[in-house]
Amino acid sequence: MTLFLRVLRLCSESISMPLLAPLRHYALVRMLMQREIANRTTGTAMGRLWPLLQPALQVLGLWFMFAVVYDMRNVRGPGYAQYMLLSMLPWLCFSEVLARATGLFREFSPLYARSRFPLEVLPTMALVMPTLVYTPVLMLTALWLLGLFAAVKAIVVIPLLLVWTLPLVLFCTVAGLFVRDFGQALPFMLTLLMYLTPILYFPDMLPAAMRDWLWLNPMADWMALIHAWLGGNILPRESIVRLVVLWLLLLVPCWLWFRRTLLHVRELL
Amino acid sequence: MSESVISLVGVGKSYRSYERDIDRALEVLTGKARHRQYDALQPLTLQVAKGEVIGVVGKNGAGKSTLLKVLAGTLQPSSGQLAINGRVSAILELGASFHPEMTGHDNVYLTCAIQGLSRQEIDVAYEAIVAFAGIAEFMQRPVKTYSSGMMMRLAFAIATHVDPDILIIDEALSVGDGVFARRSFDRIMEFREAGKTIFFCSHSLYQVEALCDRVLWLDGGRVRSEGAPAKVITEYGDFLQQESAIMQPVPVTVAAHAAPIAAVTAASVPRVLGVKVSVDGHEARVHAVQSGRSCIDVEVHFQSVAGLPVPSVGLVILGGDGRNVASMGTVNDGIALRVADDLTGTVAVTLPEFPLLKGCYVLEIYLLCEKGLHIYERVRGVAEFSVEQRGLELGVVTLPHHWQVR
Repeated sequence: MTLFLRVLRLCSESISMPLLAPLRHYALVRMLMQREIANRTTGTAMGRLWPLLQPALQVLGLWFMFAVVYDMRNVRGPGYAQYMLLSMLPWLCFSEVLARATGLFREFSPLYARSRFPLEVLPTMALVMPTLVYTPVLMLTALWLLGLFAAVKAIVVIPLLLVWTLPLVLFCTVAGLFVRDFGQALPFMLTLLMYLTPILYFPDMLPAAMRDWLWLNPMADWMALIHAWLGGNILPRESIVRLVVLWLLLLVPCWLWFRRTLLHVRELL
Repeated sequence: MSESVISLVGVGKSYRSYERDIDRALEVLTGKARHRQYDALQPLTLQVAKGEVIGVVGKNGAGKSTLLKVLAGTLQPSSGQLAINGRVSAILELGASFHPEMTGHDNVYLTCAIQGLSRQEIDVAYEAIVAFAGIAEFMQRPVKTYSSGMMMRLAFAIATHVDPDILIIDEALSVGDGVFARRSFDRIMEFREAGKTIFFCSHSLYQVEALCDRVLWLDGGRVRSEGAPAKVITEYGDFLQQESAIMQPVPVTVAAHAAPIAAVTAASVPRVLGVKVSVDGHEARVHAVQSGRSCIDVEVHFQSVAGLPVPSVGLVILGGDGRNVASMGTVNDGIALRVADDLTGTVAVTLPEFPLLKGCYVLEIYLLCEKGLHIYERVRGVAEFSVEQRGLELGVVTLPHHWQVR
């Protein structure tokens, strides 16, 4: 019974601590966000439009290559561009978050090494900015491709995806601190995962033997969910179950690892 | 019993070292120790009441800074229980936590936000911080363009304007130079008078003894002594003396103390304009002195500053081994100095029948605030006395005495 209560308390802490940290330190998170925006835009002619333009231009580039140059529209029909764009934006957001997470402790070391900086807000720093950037871009893309209703529905996609990404962010934050090679290897791993996920291609384009193993790739579940949600189709229940179970299984150990790491961080840097 | 604002029960701090980075990761992952441990602070139990001023003394590496960092929350204790009741503000490494790319304005908001202040609270404090730091025209520039003095001013202003209940100060009783040093010292005194709890470590034993209610002496991460300032500082002073005796003493020579008496400080703060030292009417820098017979006259000419109280003057006589042998000050002796219309003043002190026994002694002059706590200027090696004696007395001083044959 005691063990059960302990596990229950740990689960509750794992969920509440990282998610409530930005609310507890709202003024600080807001300041850091403003600094980040200022760093990215100060001195540029386009100013604060850049954070939004960057993913939009990236997606347009990919669309040009696959839909126009490779002429996938004629191979797979007019729905290809829509599928690719609506898959690519959440993927870009997901990969940006993880890449940023690996360097979080080092990036913020000047602030926390000699002050009472609340380290538990650091994972938030990897999550909040992409949420603010990619959500409007995805909404505009959905508005352009699917109409107003889909645009409104798109508002929840990025936040939900990033909440699901939280355990991975905690893992990458710690791994990036302890093992520098991890930060170097991650871009390759993400590229590999992108090719294994139906983003640039429809799931049915995979060989049948490989298609049967797609359930092992949680990002494939996310793509299926996103397209079903935005397209107004029935949500694949098995994908939801797999994602929720995986999230719960990862969250507690990743949070524990992160929490234990906090004792070391200030000494390490 | 006063309300306890800081409670440490067996609080210790150990640093871990690892051969490889991956060992740390594996230890975190598996919980199995893979490190070598260095105990910077042995388990310490301490209760600090509201309004107490606690001084921490000790040699370098004694654990002073580790203790202050643990109290400030920038280090987590490895063992024990730490409870702090109130907002803590720490002046540890001034300006070190500023973000160099951000403006002074943004760093004020960021640092205050880290301290837990809301946007509204920061808005209220902002003007006072800028006014105190005195760098209003630089607040919109990135901190990386600041001089170290400007950064220290801003950091000090922030630390002391976030309305802390507990102020932790590491070797920074006054920061900056000239006017700001005096202002920062006064600010800390205001905290003391307002009944705030202050925890500070300093190598200035004089200031520790003058300001603290209680002193901790740390040695090798352990509390070597704790209690009334006079008792602990005396013990610590004796310890330092023994240490320096074990080590090769540095002989006092003319060359080592030949710094000229020059008015090098800015005119914005009180300064020493000149010092005359004469022995038996003869002015010089190196004097031959007859123990018990020579008369030494010291005359200090100083300049005060409009708007500041008239300063005070102190004299210290150091032995050949650097130990303070004797000292005297106008505050301690109840002497109020005066200045003329041009804000200059002179004070003279006579040491008749110089009572020190044979040896080499050096005179230092201090120009201090009106309370004798904040040092405006220290003039080293003002004069050197080479004392000779007729008799065979031992020690450093002849005490006034009377013999009676019964």
